[in-house]
Amino acid sequence: MAQLIKVRPTKIELVKLKRRLSLSSRIHKIMKDRLSILTMEFLQAARQTVTAKQHTIDAMTQAYKAMTIASGYHGYVALQKELAASQADITVTAGPRNVAGVRIPSLELNEPTGGLRGYNLAQTSSLVDSASDTAREALRVIIELAELQRGLELLGTEINRTKRIANALEYILIPNLKATIRFLAMKFEERDREEKSRLKRVKVILARKVVV
Amino acid sequence: MYTPDLSGDSQSRYDRLMETYLSTELRLVNSGLPRVQVSLSQLLAEPQPQISCADGTQQMVKRSELRYLAGLLDPADYDSLLLPVLIEMAGQQSEATVLCRTETEVKLISAMLEMNMRCEQPGRLRIYKPQMALIRKKMQTTTQYVFSLSVEN
Repeated sequence: MAQLIKVRPTKIELVKLKRRLSLSSRIHKIMKDRLSILTMEFLQAARQTVTAKQHTIDAMTQAYKAMTIASGYHGYVALQKELAASQADITVTAGPRNVAGVRIPSLELNEPTGGLRGYNLAQTSSLVDSASDTAREALRVIIELAELQRGLELLGTEINRTKRIANALEYILIPNLKATIRFLAMKFEERDREEKSRLKRVKVILARKVVV
Repeated sequence: MYTPDLSGDSQSRYDRLMETYLSTELRLVNSGLPRVQVSLSQLLAEPQPQISCADGTQQMVKRSELRYLAGLLDPADYDSLLLPVLIEMAGQQSEATVLCRTETEVKLISAMLEMNMRCEQPGRLRIYKPQMALIRKKMQTTTQYVFSLSVEN
């Protein structure tokens, strides 16, 4: 239930309360917009996370399968020896992105430059190439998943905060202001009515005096 | 329930507090706005594409998104597409407005949504929430929300 705010019953206070109500309504509108955007982004991120998780599991399964086949073909020791000298420059570009005031990390796996795989192509089969490709794909989806999960956490926290503010405005501050404005308006009307009846009474008394 | 003491001078202080809060919230939600919009061709040429935001930070732009946008447009339009594309929210939760400086934005959105779009008002393209979600999904780092108060407020 709305509570009355303690204010002096004057017209100036009424004007100030009306101004505060207008301000609160504007903040509420922005909060509602922001909440709607954040919720939309959160749901989208949640859906993408589910897909990315499935992709990660698939990619990892395929990568391990390809690696197992390659090591079975070449021999584990020979493959390890071949891959020990391989140098793959893996770089990830990281930076923030801003979603309605929430700073979410953004990650992107950079494409390898030069197209070199880092191992001797002449001495290895296409099975190693396939294992390398699937491992790279697995790495890409892991990075994608990491970005999505962190974004999901940050969005969730911000949604909670925004929801609390929007609810406080919607259910406490704005109703209290409205109730107080209504109360003051009724009080002023009552005062006007009293004033009017007092004037009428004085008029009657004066009229009687004139007659007497 | 906490009710602030509004007697005497403190009420104006309360008003000031509310005004500060409103401006802070507006600044916070609009902190990702770009200082200057950069053309697609410029971003494609950069080794690490970034956009300067209003709060002084840098927003990373994904190269994969730039390549996707480049694939949707003719090379002649690369210079006229200014990024990030601004999506304005103004009180109506079911729809938003894409602020278009040139026709390229309209072309881009049309190609992305696979439907003919046109501006009802000059420079303003109205989109609905499901369309906005689709655009945001494909352009996470190359779009930005603008929160504004409508005129009647």
